[in-house]
Amino acid sequence: MGNINELINRLAHDNMTVKPAPHPYKLSLKWMGWAVAYLVVALAFSGVRPDLPAKLHQPMFVAELAALAGIFITTSLSASLLSFPDIHQLRRLAFAPLIAFALFLLVMFLAWQADNPPAPLPVHSFQCTLGITMMSFLPAAWIFYVMRKFASTHYHLAGCCALLFAFSIGAIWLRLYEVNNSIMHVIEWHYLPMIAFGIIGLWLGKNILKW
Amino acid sequence: MTDKTDHLEALMRQALGGDQRAYAKVLQETSRFLRPYLAKRLSFTNETDDLLQEILLSIHKARHTYDGNRPYKPWVYSIAKFRLQDYLRSHYADKLHHADDISGLEDFLHENVTESVISYESISGEIGKLPQKQATILQLMHQEGYTAKEVAEKLGMNESAVKVAAHRAYRILRQKLDK
Repeated sequence: MGNINELINRLAHDNMTVKPAPHPYKLSLKWMGWAVAYLVVALAFSGVRPDLPAKLHQPMFVAELAALAGIFITTSLSASLLSFPDIHQLRRLAFAPLIAFALFLLVMFLAWQADNPPAPLPVHSFQCTLGITMMSFLPAAWIFYVMRKFASTHYHLAGCCALLFAFSIGAIWLRLYEVNNSIMHVIEWHYLPMIAFGIIGLWLGKNILKW
Repeated sequence: MTDKTDHLEALMRQALGGDQRAYAKVLQETSRFLRPYLAKRLSFTNETDDLLQEILLSIHKARHTYDGNRPYKPWVYSIAKFRLQDYLRSHYADKLHHADDISGLEDFLHENVTESVISYESISGEIGKLPQKQATILQLMHQEGYTAKEVAEKLGMNESAVKVAAHRAYRILRQKLDK
């Protein structure tokens, strides 16, 4: 008991004015703002696919982009909430990516059904995964660096959401840049690796976000 | 109850503003309600105070994640639960490690040690070079004929710790004698 009082006195003595962390909504908006700026700059360098205006008139392509945007928004929100020890007492919102993923799977299924006759597979394969990984590396490193300043008590999930957020940026970029109509290729080399990286995020979260 | 809780939030807001007295008060209140919570869950050990100290340090480190506008107790309990789980995880991991040692010892104990051609006297020089505790345990068990349980009582250790220490000593001696 004496030790506890001694510790309390020491901590109180060390206490100075502390600037509270921003609200998770604000934090998430900030992260998304930076991510969109990064995406715009990347697209300015790489260029957009020449058939983009025509593709934007195809409902399945728009639905796919919207589903990806859903993952981007919800993982950003969830990662920001999970950075707080008590999930900012908004526990239900932290599960929003599950809904986004359910919608995404539905869109993928519908796109696969609509791909009849199947569009020809492109000649390349793993290069897409590599491109998404390289594009996502910087946002991933940055978001983990930022999240380390908080105090996550759900570091596995926080790491998973952070990496999914970063890889959704890469996936959106590639969909807007690469001329490719094969949904099978997109599922195999864009989205399955993205989900795999989300699983790696569980492990990374444990190693990077533990405090 | 609500007044008391509101009181904690108000104190924490003051603490975040740099008020050291309010901070000391809020930490005292926190330790008061966390102690029974931890004691109930750590009834098998006397490390409640150690864990409580660790939790208070974690609260201090994470205080910037509390803004004073939402209930204080859920925030504190989430940190306490997190540290408690960490503690229990490492506690049971240690126990598992300990159990591994014991199972290794059981393999070893199946060997016939009573009819060994090596007597205690013949290797007493090597035993003398062992760490003090291991040497004492071997002396009590093999020269004076005490059981592991009796040695444990004599040295104020638990029985499995005595067996593990003896096992480690045997391993060292075996390596030395093999050479």
